[in-house]
Amino acid sequence: MLLTDHNSVQRNLSALVDFSNLINSTLDIEFTLNNLLLTCFGKFHTTKGLVALTDGNNELKVIASKGFSDKVKNSFPKVNAAEIENCKELKKFLDEFNLPICREIKSSNKTIGVLILGERLVNRKFDNDDNEFINTLLSIAATAIDNSIGVKKLKTLNRELDSKVNQLSSLFDLSKEFSGILEIEMVGKLLVYSIIGQMLVSRYAVLTCDENSNCTILDSKFDYKLLDKALTEYSASQLTEVVKGKKLQEDFPSFSNLGVELLVPMIIKGKSKGIILLGPRISLQTYSRSDIEFVSSVGSLAIISIENAKLFKETVEKQRMEKDLELARNIQRNLLPNKIPKLKSFEIAAFNESARQVGGDYYDVIKLNDGKTLVAIADVSGKGVQAALMMANLQAFLKSISKQNIPLDEATNLINDLVSENTVMGNFITFFWAVLNEKEKKVTFVNAGHNPPLLIRNGEIKKMKKGGMILGVMETTIPYEATNIIVESDDTIILFTDGVTEAMNKLNQEYTDERFEELLKRNYSKSADELLKTIRHDVLEFTQNAEQSDDLTALVIKVL
Amino acid sequence: MADFNVNVRGVGSVNVIELNGYLDAHTAPMLESTFNKLIEENNFRVVVNFETLNYISSAGLGVFMAYVETMRDNKGDIKFSNMQDNVYNIFDLLGFPMLYEFFKDESEAVEKFNEQGLNK
Repeated sequence: MLLTDHNSVQRNLSALVDFSNLINSTLDIEFTLNNLLLTCFGKFHTTKGLVALTDGNNELKVIASKGFSDKVKNSFPKVNAAEIENCKELKKFLDEFNLPICREIKSSNKTIGVLILGERLVNRKFDNDDNEFINTLLSIAATAIDNSIGVKKLKTLNRELDSKVNQLSSLFDLSKEFSGILEIEMVGKLLVYSIIGQMLVSRYAVLTCDENSNCTILDSKFDYKLLDKALTEYSASQLTEVVKGKKLQEDFPSFSNLGVELLVPMIIKGKSKGIILLGPRISLQTYSRSDIEFVSSVGSLAIISIENAKLFKETVEKQRMEKDLELARNIQRNLLPNKIPKLKSFEIAAFNESARQVGGDYYDVIKLNDGKTLVAIADVSGKGVQAALMMANLQAFLKSISKQNIPLDEATNLINDLVSENTVMGNFITFFWAVLNEKEKKVTFVNAGHNPPLLIRNGEIKKMKKGGMILGVMETTIPYEATNIIVESDDTIILFTDGVTEAMNKLNQEYTDERFEELLKRNYSKSADELLKTIRHDVLEFTQNAEQSDDLTALVIKVL
Repeated sequence: MADFNVNVRGVGSVNVIELNGYLDAHTAPMLESTFNKLIEENNFRVVVNFETLNYISSAGLGVFMAYVETMRDNKGDIKFSNMQDNVYNIFDLLGFPMLYEFFKDESEAVEKFNEQGLNK
């Protein structure tokens, strides 16, 4: 008897040592549990057994089993590790399938699982020795299981960490890239690739939003038309936080119906400047917090880049316009006479001030032969380079016609035909010109729709209106009419553009014809130079340096 | 900037894209234009050989996502082969093996296309 005992103890011990060596040589939990079961089977001659371990909620889950059908395995009840002893369902399960052994696996006083064994085939009940053996076995196994679980947790943690590191390195990569790109489309592409690569999505859209919270599609793999329609329903001001899941379905059904599962706004200073819409992930996983953080971070990087690109574009555009205006100003400056000829019986003074936008004011004083001098003033419609070019055309016509010795009315017919042929629809020129005849003290003029120049004689103002239609509207059908005036000494003629009488002050009030005429009545006896200075001074006093939208031009002709 | 280049060669009815160097946000457009060209020429069966690719960023991964549907819609596919471990880890981490077939060797990937071709 003693000998048998001895033998059996020795056998038990060697089995335990074997088992211990085996399971401590690995961190693979399945291997450990498998061997736990096999050792028990060998020792007790049972054919059925399972091991269930606690999960995150401290509930038991079958991890390893032998000799049971799937049906039995699946009928393993829901058991909390803290209530193993009192669990009725577990008891029922054990009774139903004839499982006499159910022993808790404990590690540092905490239940981490159970070992369940079926009946012994040899028809012998489990005795004390057997129970002792199981206990020893389980305490050895517990440590190994604990280690394995720890390692498994570490592995998951490591993988999560890897994934985080990967996301961070992606972000780092992108931050370098984004900062160097100034094309909005390119930024959009990079943003999209980074996100679909990292999140495994194939349906996405990137929107940009303007000042007025209107969104435009930068890129979309959702139905373009439907997305465009959906955008009319929501304003960017509503879309200032991440929306997903149920909230997305309830609050933004038009997006949800398209297949959008995640909405991430790209925010600068509290305002949504863009939106990222993502469809389902191919893995069918939902978007985790860390996923959303990644999308948000990439979005933030991208939107700064997009905004920069927009600003860059605007600046370039502005610079281009500035250059345009500079060019226009140069053309205009070169077209105006730099010196006014001195005449015996007429004193002429002129000034022109171009607005920042550059209007189309033009004037000229050209000496003809026979003691005649041509004086012209014009206002070309439009602004900037276009007006300047039209002005250049007019000047060219004027210069060539003035050399032909044609009567002024016929010359006007001709110039209108030329201008009409050379202007685009809707452009026109208001034009006035006059020939000063020194010998006969005569002024011959034609007014083609220009603000009537004023003839002041003894303090009385007469308007020089006659002539015909503005230039450039149509070819001459009704000939222009010239008017002759015999002038007297001290007569004063004032030519001007509406930039003078419509000059604005900061209160948006106009200088007006009335104020102009009053001023002239008080000052007409001054010399041409003095009177021009007075006019300039008065207009400046009125506008108080408010920026003018139109050019200012005035000519004073004094009969000596 | 890191070096990257793409080379395409035909192996029967399959086109093999060889990637070399660093595929990141900066170099992704090169791969993109390669795919565009293949699609233009109606080549939808693609094996990407990663043997000499040392690094891939998520923007690089995105390119594969962007084109796989077009390939599959046209009875083709993008298959991966000869990936270095560090590169594979990134694909694995992001769940690509769920979507794409990975092969140890280019010839296996090409063979897979040919088998499918016979069954068609």
